[in-house]
Amino acid sequence: MRANEEQLRTWMVGGLAGNAAAHDALLRALLPILRSFYGRRMRGREEDIEDLVQETLIAVHHRRATYDPARPFSGWLFAIARYKMIDSFRRNGRFTTVEGLEDMLADEGFEDASNAQADVERLLDTIPKKQAAVIRATRIEGLSTAEAAIRLSLGESDVKVSVHRGLKTLAARVKDALK
Amino acid sequence: MNSEELISNLVQDVRPVRRDALTRRLLAGIAAGGVATFLIVGMWLGYRPDLWLAMHGAAFWTKWIYTASLAGCATVATARLARPDVTSLSWMWIMLVPILGLLIISMAELAHAPSAEWLGMWLGASWKVCSRNVFLLSVPIFAGLLWSFRKLAPTRLRIAGATAGLTAGAWGATLYCLHCPEVSAIFVLTWYTLGIGLAALVGAALGPRLLRW
Repeated sequence: MRANEEQLRTWMVGGLAGNAAAHDALLRALLPILRSFYGRRMRGREEDIEDLVQETLIAVHHRRATYDPARPFSGWLFAIARYKMIDSFRRNGRFTTVEGLEDMLADEGFEDASNAQADVERLLDTIPKKQAAVIRATRIEGLSTAEAAIRLSLGESDVKVSVHRGLKTLAARVKDALK
Repeated sequence: MNSEELISNLVQDVRPVRRDALTRRLLAGIAAGGVATFLIVGMWLGYRPDLWLAMHGAAFWTKWIYTASLAGCATVATARLARPDVTSLSWMWIMLVPILGLLIISMAELAHAPSAEWLGMWLGASWKVCSRNVFLLSVPIFAGLLWSFRKLAPTRLRIAGATAGLTAGAWGATLYCLHCPEVSAIFVLTWYTLGIGLAALVGAALGPRLLRW
């Protein structure tokens, strides 16, 4: 069973306090999480996955002062992982990744995108918080079910069920609005 | 080296990290660069001889409050961008407050002066060198920030470079006040802001290359 957000955060905070055992547990727990994170996104470049995993572990270690314990650990971790992936794409001459696109749109203040985003946010506000959170994590940020489960401290099946129910309600809302 | 060995190596060195480590690191970089800039102002340009007297007047403090408030905002923004998870920067519009404030003061000053003096107030005695000096004085502080960033994790490099440049420019301008004898608000609004903006622009241009990690 994979460690969840709460557990990872506890280890991270322990490591920041100087507890080497907690830090060791954290880095080892991150191995499978990062392998699957890159595995799902780097199809066709399997040979780079382990390099990226190691670069991310090194960054997590050397730059841990940038983690704010008041914020979610997984948000911090995946932000580093995503940065390392985009950096590797850039080095290899591939500029636009789906993940990079979101940043680009945000940077250039793309109006349509932000309008659409506002619409989505308004719709998500109308469904229960948990369903909105899992949809945001899996469908908007592109996390896998397992990653979302860690982030939100839920079971994987709970995530799946909530996404399904949430999307169903959203579809009904949109249909009603179009009538 | 496989990943398990890497982890074993990394955990050899787990020193405690203070909760405010990021802020301290940034401030240390700014302070180190700031001390260098302070000394450069003294050795290269010279502190203004009437500094003590000037500190009893409003013009000096208007300048200082303007540059220091920009510097404060830019420093906070840089600290936010030093973390990898994206944060909102829309609050940075607040930096328009000092700019608009100085604009109002400028207009009031001009309204109270005969129009024949306007050009002189705008150009002062040093408009040709002011922006350049502010920009040059930002360089040591920018270098200090680059050192700070070696342990930090910005993910939006261009914006982080811009705010680092802005921080360096605004602190550089704050220290330049120790030399610059100009008193009119419209002078500061134009030439100081131009120098600070130039530092931000160069920071944005260099950010993606220098802040990569």
